Amino acid sequence: MAAIAPTAQVRGTVELALRGSKRDLAGRVFQGALLLSLLLSLLILIVLLGTALSAAWPVVSTRLGDFVTSDVSRLPVRAGVRQGIVGSLILIGFVAVVAMPLGVAAAIYLQEYARDTRLNRLLTTNIRNLAAVPSIVYGILGLVVFVQALRAFTGPDTFGRSYISGGLTLSVLVLPIIILVTMEALRAVPKSVREAAYGVGATRWEVVRSHVLPYAAPGVFTGLILSMARAFGETAPLLLVGAVTGYLSTSSSATPLEVLQGKYTALPTQIYSWSRLAGEDWKANTAAAIVVLLVIILVVNFAAILLRNRYDRKW
Amino acid sequence: MVTATGGGPPSIATLRGSAKRRRKEGAVRGVLLAAAGISLVISVVIVLALLGQAVSFLSHVELSSLWSGQWSPRQGEFDIPTLFIGTIEVALIAMVIATPLGLGAAMYLSEYAGPKTRRRLKPILETLAGIPSVVLGYFALQVINPAIVQTLFATSSTFTIMAAGIGVGILTIPLVASVAEDAMYAVPGSLREAAYGIGARRRTVTTKVVFPAAVSGIMASLILGFSRAIGETMVVAIAAGATGSATRHLNPLEPGQTMTGAIASLAIGSDQVKSSTGLNAFDALYLVGLLLFAMTLGLNLLSERFVRRVRRDY
Amino acid sequence: MVKHRRLGGALVALLALTLVSAACGSDDGGGSGDAGGTDALSGSITISGSSTVEPISSVVAEEFNADNPDVQISVDGPGTGDGFELLCKGEIDIADASRPIEDEEAKACQKAGVEYTELEVGLDGVTVMTNPENADVTCLNFGDLYALFGPESDGIDTWNGADSLAQQVGGTGGFPDAPLEITAPGEESGTYDAFIDLAGIEDTAIAQGVPEDEAAALRSDYQPSPNDNVIITAMEGSPSSLGFVGFAFAEQAGDQIKEIQVDGGDGCVGPSADTISDGSYPLSRSLYIYVSNEAMARPEVKAYVDFYLTDDSLATDGLLEQVGYIALPADRIEATRSAWESASA
Repeated sequence: MAAIAPTAQVRGTVELALRGSKRDLAGRVFQGALLLSLLLSLLILIVLLGTALSAAWPVVSTRLGDFVTSDVSRLPVRAGVRQGIVGSLILIGFVAVVAMPLGVAAAIYLQEYARDTRLNRLLTTNIRNLAAVPSIVYGILGLVVFVQALRAFTGPDTFGRSYISGGLTLSVLVLPIIILVTMEALRAVPKSVREAAYGVGATRWEVVRSHVLPYAAPGVFTGLILSMARAFGETAPLLLVGAVTGYLSTSSSATPLEVLQGKYTALPTQIYSWSRLAGEDWKANTAAAIVVLLVIILVVNFAAILLRNRYDRKW
Repeated sequence: MVTATGGGPPSIATLRGSAKRRRKEGAVRGVLLAAAGISLVISVVIVLALLGQAVSFLSHVELSSLWSGQWSPRQGEFDIPTLFIGTIEVALIAMVIATPLGLGAAMYLSEYAGPKTRRRLKPILETLAGIPSVVLGYFALQVINPAIVQTLFATSSTFTIMAAGIGVGILTIPLVASVAEDAMYAVPGSLREAAYGIGARRRTVTTKVVFPAAVSGIMASLILGFSRAIGETMVVAIAAGATGSATRHLNPLEPGQTMTGAIASLAIGSDQVKSSTGLNAFDALYLVGLLLFAMTLGLNLLSERFVRRVRRDY
Repeated sequence: MVKHRRLGGALVALLALTLVSAACGSDDGGGSGDAGGTDALSGSITISGSSTVEPISSVVAEEFNADNPDVQISVDGPGTGDGFELLCKGEIDIADASRPIEDEEAKACQKAGVEYTELEVGLDGVTVMTNPENADVTCLNFGDLYALFGPESDGIDTWNGADSLAQQVGGTGGFPDAPLEITAPGEESGTYDAFIDLAGIEDTAIAQGVPEDEAAALRSDYQPSPNDNVIITAMEGSPSSLGFVGFAFAEQAGDQIKEIQVDGGDGCVGPSADTISDGSYPLSRSLYIYVSNEAMARPEVKAYVDFYLTDDSLATDGLLEQVGYIALPADRIEATRSAWESASA
């Protein structure tokens, strides 16, 4: 084959590439612009946290302990977010108990058991669609099904506006996300691991239980934690299924079932209703509640990210 | 189960294992299939619930009130285009923010950042993704509107569609970034290496090789972002202002109402319409919810057409 | 593998602990007071309705809970109309209202078989206000209010633009030439209803030929806001602003606003506790609670309403005045009490 004599232009380009991009100004600018877009997001985060903290300072610096342990009150200096925190915790407890097992089970089926039939592809597409449905539509679903239709079960004395309704609504909302994240985690486990188990005669379930799940566990847990953090911050659906936005007293002697079938509130809905009240004191209270909410969510997110970084395997 | 004692080849019965094990296997498979089927049940229930109530609402209302120029449920005016215009305006403004910031971040993380930098910078986006929308709504009202909208656009309105749009845009950045990054990351290394091999610079590789190769995934990320922006409620409910009623207008520097905001405000408190037909304004939220569901479903199906998922099989 | 199992176990344990502690944690809730009576009342009371009356019912509930921690009370404020709807559906025990029940709403209750008792509990007013520096406007009469706020005023964006309409309906007019920027409650608010009612907007509109189903409304092109804080702040935003808000909120705003006197036919009167109490301020209204007769059979509901009607709650310097409203004159409090006694007997 005859050698092709390199032209000056080609020689120049290759030399430039070999020598590095020191003289590639446009490239540097481009890289800088991209990095800037990422750092702008960081700036937005910092400004957001900063303004929330500074607006909340009057409350946070003087009565943070009281604030976190007091109940809702008409007077801003007495108001606190205890009921909101407890309420939100109970709600995500529901998510953990209902959506987690259901979601993981569905994901195992779709990822490990399902052959590539039309029905199974339909199921997966359907789940992806459900994950994209706006949260307020789930609120409407919760209203029609849990608050109205299943009233006798969810809250016979409170017209269906209870923890059970709220918790189930949030579970339905978070379920598709859990399924998708779990499927993703299962997908990342290499075939060789499965084949090793089949090779010694395990059934499919035994393969999943003893080989696939343990290896996928960190990814699954991370996804679960992130989903719960998301559910913790949801507001719109709760407004539709009866979270109390005004005054709510907590009965001091109620069986757990009565509590679950009883009236409830949540931290994000408290923030929303406080944001509509007049006066500088309420502004500070709202900002303080936001700080509490952000601290909880960011701590949970941080823990999940740490978890993922620690257990992340490279195949 | 299979004893390798050197007798003849294992029989089918031996290979298959005990009946008890097979039954257990079948039971487990059944349970898991049922769990997966629940998702179908949920979809069906959503559609039925919305459809039923929406139809009942439509049968009670004068159809002309759905095009009356004003959304005032209390006065029996249910102008859907008002809400639609508000929704689209908020989503478009959101995409103006989310597209450059999201795609830029995705490009940087995928093509320029080394693994250490990636691990340090990615949490920024993930943290942003974790911020609840009610917080961003408050931020939009207290900070974005006074500091940005009112200074840049010389308007004195406390609530604006623009501020709500910017807030929703901030919320959408992580979604666009993560889907686009996945798409770019999935471009085979061989394509990049081929380009580097003939002396292309990183910028050229990114813009002329990776971006075109990932363009369908990037389109999907933008469509998904748009869909998310349409479905966002709390930012609009807090920062866009028109809670009870809204007139049809195109100006984003004034308060406005979106479909999601209308549903929220009907749910939180709507007085009865004073009319003798006993029309329940509350039921309008089912119709709006149905339209919203249809829109996001359509957008999601569209984005699926664009996605070519590259599954890694090891 | 063992690590993961331990991790999983730890997570599950943490969740279980959370659920249990949350359920038991509600034991510490309620008030700090001792059980006042030997009754140890328990049960639940659901109150909803007007956002104007909500603060009163809430603060009464708070005090009531201090002595009766086992009664779970919830108070919401979606709006007077919503409250009546819920009452007539049998979904709440007490409806707060910033206006009397309307005929249609009463009929709905009748149809559903729900009986109720109307109890007047306090007084409130609607304050019309402008920028504190605005020296041009001190007093407006009903005709002026109609010309500035009414359903025929869409598009009028300067004060003197409303002059001709004001002349037509018996207003004084003579407004300054300044931009008219209105911020006021939206149509979902009871204060909106109250203003229309008290300023006679509907009657004037009908007399002007506005069709009946559009007459009981304000102009649609002002800046509505459900947030009283925003309305008050907006007054400072423009030198010739205009708006209205509940009296209690206006009082809290202090120097941020300038109150405009209203002439209801007997001269210009400014809003104050005295002028509302004796009825001389034209834009004053009564506040009510409507108790479902079925609910009042329950001891906790009866005890709550009994407490609501005590002097500590309703009389001068009581809870009601502490949240900014005006106490009824003593004879009307007595009238309410006897109405309650005969209904709950």
